[in-house]
Amino acid sequence: MAYVIAEPCIDNTDQSCVAVCPVDCIAADPSVDRKFYIDPDGCIDCGSCESACPNQAIFRADKLPPSRVDFAWIDATWYRDPQAARDAVDGVASAA
Amino acid sequence: MDATAIQRAASAAGSPGRRDVEPNATLVARIDLTSTIARFTIRPDGGPLPFEPGQYFALGLTLAGRLVQRPYSTASAPGSARDLEFLVRLVEGGTFTPRLWALPVGARLRVGPAKGLFTLRRRDPRTHLFIATGTGLAPFLSMLAALAADEAAWPGTNPTSPRAVVVHGVSHVAELAYRDRLERMAAGPTRVRYSPVVSRPTHPDNAGWTGLTGRLDAHIDELCDVHRLVPAESVAYLCGNPGVIATAERILTAHGLAREAIVSEQYWPPEEHTPAG
Repeated sequence: MAYVIAEPCIDNTDQSCVAVCPVDCIAADPSVDRKFYIDPDGCIDCGSCESACPNQAIFRADKLPPSRVDFAWIDATWYRDPQAARDAVDGVASAA
Repeated sequence: MDATAIQRAASAAGSPGRRDVEPNATLVARIDLTSTIARFTIRPDGGPLPFEPGQYFALGLTLAGRLVQRPYSTASAPGSARDLEFLVRLVEGGTFTPRLWALPVGARLRVGPAKGLFTLRRRDPRTHLFIATGTGLAPFLSMLAALAADEAAWPGTNPTSPRAVVVHGVSHVAELAYRDRLERMAAGPTRVRYSPVVSRPTHPDNAGWTGLTGRLDAHIDELCDVHRLVPAESVAYLCGNPGVIATAERILTAHGLAREAIVSEQYWPPEEHTPAG
């Protein structure tokens, strides 16, 4: 069960999570991306990122609030189709 | 953002999801303590990797075409160590450790850069209380080596107090990793004290054990008194089982240690019962 980064990270990327992730499974292209993404295949569920995030943007996938469940798909998708994930993030941001 | 984060972000730029997966280290030695606990020594290709005592490295194996990594604190002395040693528990049914167990000496694997904030505060004159469960002992071997090196260059600590007290809790005597080394330290002039605790004294494997028994946290108060720890002159490092760490933090706080004098690293999230394997 991986962790997921939800919308509090959008346009508010503190990046403490990147520094503490023991297996480097959090990434983004800062020149393009509006948030960071957790690779569900690499995440080892240690929870370090959740504790480190000052924006309370990170949740265990099985504890995502209903309004944020799409972010599990967004994070996973970024690692195979980054543009699709970015489009989804833009959609969430514009709807907010 | 620190240098690691900048590096990670930069490496992701333009190539989302891609990471270095090529092996960059060799397994050069392995010592099995039990069927489920072993010491693994790896040699990075590019020479010694820098690290602070207490930090961990992500070891990685490519499984089914993807890199699978797990973080392990190194027991090695910082500085000039060519090899890195890790104390690892086999997690039955895990993704990573069963494959690690199957590796022969000479096998290739990947090691990432040192990470982690659970590091020794250097040149701290206080008595160091190191409390570990199971494989959580590993970072303390590294810290003890650093303390010994600092002591040689900086003999400014109180010679009447212990320099370090190591309390190691395990289920079985055979899991007392580095017992010989710690007993030698305790018998030598380094002012290190060593208090192993075996939680299952009635198990046949533990026959003959005459040391402390039961839960490690049940002995903390007593050991603070035995080793004459002065709360204001002590700093505690805790590593391993999150339940034991939480209890130990409460006991040490009640004993008079300041919150800033208690540093901990949990080997898995408190809500889980076992580490990722």
